[in-house]
Amino acid sequence: MILSGVLLAVIGLGLVGWFAGRGRARLLYTGRGSMHSMPGYHGWHLALWILVPALLAWTAWSMIMPGLVDGAVMADPAAAQLPAGDMHRAAILADARNIAANPDAVAFDPLAEQLARPMRAAQIRFGMIGGLLVMIIALAGGGYGFTRVRAGFPARTHVERAILALLLIASLMAILTTFGIVASLLFEAGLFFKDVSPIAFLTGTHWAPGNARGVDIDGNFGAVPLFWGTIYIGAIIAMIVAIPLGLMSAIYLTQYASGTIRKWVKPILEILAGIPTVVYGYFAALTVAPLIRDTAASLGVANPSTESALAAGLVMGVMISPFVSSMADDALAAVPRAMSDGSLALGATRSETIKKVLLPAALPGIVAGVMLAISRAIGETMIVVMAAGASARLSANPLASMTTVTYQIVQMLTGDQEFNSPKTLSAFALGLVLFIVTLILNIIALRVVKRFREAYE
Amino acid sequence: MSNNSTFSSPAFAKRLARRHAAERRFKLIGLGAIVLSLAFLALLLFIMMHSGLGGLNWNFLSGSDSTDPHVAGIWSAAKGSILTMLVTLLLSFPMGVLAAIYLEEFAPRSRWIELVEVSINNLAAVPSIIFGLLGLAVFINTLNLPRSSPLVGGLTLALMTMPVIVISGRNAIKAVPPSIRDAALAVGASKVQAVFHHVLPLALPGILTGTIIGMARALGETAPLLMIGMRAFIVTPPGGITDPSSVLPMQIFLWSDEIDKAFVQNTSAAIIVLLVFLLVMNGLAIYLRNKFEVRW
Repeated sequence: MILSGVLLAVIGLGLVGWFAGRGRARLLYTGRGSMHSMPGYHGWHLALWILVPALLAWTAWSMIMPGLVDGAVMADPAAAQLPAGDMHRAAILADARNIAANPDAVAFDPLAEQLARPMRAAQIRFGMIGGLLVMIIALAGGGYGFTRVRAGFPARTHVERAILALLLIASLMAILTTFGIVASLLFEAGLFFKDVSPIAFLTGTHWAPGNARGVDIDGNFGAVPLFWGTIYIGAIIAMIVAIPLGLMSAIYLTQYASGTIRKWVKPILEILAGIPTVVYGYFAALTVAPLIRDTAASLGVANPSTESALAAGLVMGVMISPFVSSMADDALAAVPRAMSDGSLALGATRSETIKKVLLPAALPGIVAGVMLAISRAIGETMIVVMAAGASARLSANPLASMTTVTYQIVQMLTGDQEFNSPKTLSAFALGLVLFIVTLILNIIALRVVKRFREAYE
Repeated sequence: MSNNSTFSSPAFAKRLARRHAAERRFKLIGLGAIVLSLAFLALLLFIMMHSGLGGLNWNFLSGSDSTDPHVAGIWSAAKGSILTMLVTLLLSFPMGVLAAIYLEEFAPRSRWIELVEVSINNLAAVPSIIFGLLGLAVFINTLNLPRSSPLVGGLTLALMTMPVIVISGRNAIKAVPPSIRDAALAVGASKVQAVFHHVLPLALPGILTGTIIGMARALGETAPLLMIGMRAFIVTPPGGITDPSSVLPMQIFLWSDEIDKAFVQNTSAAIIVLLVFLLVMNGLAIYLRNKFEVRW
């Protein structure tokens, strides 16, 4: 509470600083060329001197304050009754924190009620100390910044340097995110591999995390059926649908269709790519899967399941097809016109030109597009969660219910669970495998596309 | 003479007819692919309309989730979506634009910058569920931010949306001709002034188009939010960004799991609402592109 008030005060102070700096610089202005920088820059310079150090201090204090408060509460006599268990202790402290913030809240534990008062006192005490510290830093920064408002002071240069630093920080966020993904996946997967051997995980064919206990833990974490389900649905069934559909519509739209048809049909087909995957999943589960089940039943298949790899793969294929189509479109457009003109001039028909000249020339680009499409399909979650089923099995029967890596990640991390059990952690190991595979596919594909473009430039 | 006989021989005519038939067949297959895709889209929309339109009324739009399908509404989920999108936009837009400016206008050619570019291109293709794992491990387990809240959801989706904004932003900035920068520099502007006063305003429509498309994607995203626990049964609309909440696609997912058949109508109606939102956003993006796009 106190800290948010301090934050507002600092921001208000920054605003005052901006006006003060600009106002003072305006007073100094005596004519063209009398100052190095425009008054607005002096305002920004002063505001930055107030805001940046104070906000840094504020962030640092709000990070260390909970620790200090907890320490103070521990010194309270009532804290001696706290249980030794880490988890339990943390729960009671969280409860006390809740009551301290909101006196109407109901305590789960009477101890939390007792601790709420010292907790509140400590929060106010440390909040005041921190607030005072931050305000002093803001005022000191402001004072220093104010003395800099002079005619010859290059405020603009300084402000621009700060802007450049901000730009650099923003662009480093991308690396930070990548690093965060890799680090968190590696860390959690590392905990998992402490319990389960990586070889058993990557080569085992029995997946039943529910039974995994004690000695036979390795035997129940064999992920091969999941990898197979993922490949079968995402890279085989979905691609059997998506490649012909996407490629042929790209060929038709670029080679045969008239300008008006292209103008209308292309955006409509792109709607397919914009529909949320949860909608596709619902459609697959509500309409496509029962349709497939009934068709299979009428063809004489015994007990077809409602959830089938075919339903998920089919819908996924349609969803991916606009993506394949746009990649193929780019690849075909990159082939020099002279090549197809030459073929047509020799008397080849349009389809012969497409099949014998355009497609071979565009092949690297198309293959790269298909690889990117596969990497999307295997990372696709909602369709398989809603339509593919939960049974981990190695089967080539498209009517069987099949599970995938993404489905299991969702399965392991939702519902009631204790964190740090091998079952929960296995989701991160699966995530790591998924991340590595999609990363490899993407890197290869992007490289192929780049080389392919250079070849024709 | 020999030519004439080649071109008029029955064998030649037959071959030619076969080639033309192949041509027609090929063209038909192409047309068939497009018709098939369009038919799929039409079927999907028709089924959603058919089973959902009857459920669209004011009570549905203003109500909250409930175990009774006839009282259940989407306002609590919609509010969660709005709050989440707000967090996402406030974080990813400035970050994405600033990163795009840096990479396009100021970055020196160095190993580091190459690493940044590679990681942005890869992040744009990383499966969304991986971002969910990141959100769970970092925001919830390490930073102890409140589970199921729009704050964590927005943060996670912002990381996912930022690469999209950076890539579209770079393309928009690249499209501004160098003469604009040269003119600004020639009359004494600094590099920063040239970029922020002249290049950025001209590139803004392109950046906004990319941002809206990225936001539309984030709005329809379910998998990463599933990871950070935004699947709770929420009866009251969230009051702020730290309250537990649901989002529209998640509500669709939760209702689709219900056994009660009456929820089919609710699910389809919620899908219609979500699709209308997305259509409006994409329409806005296309409008912006057509209205402000300058061909240099």
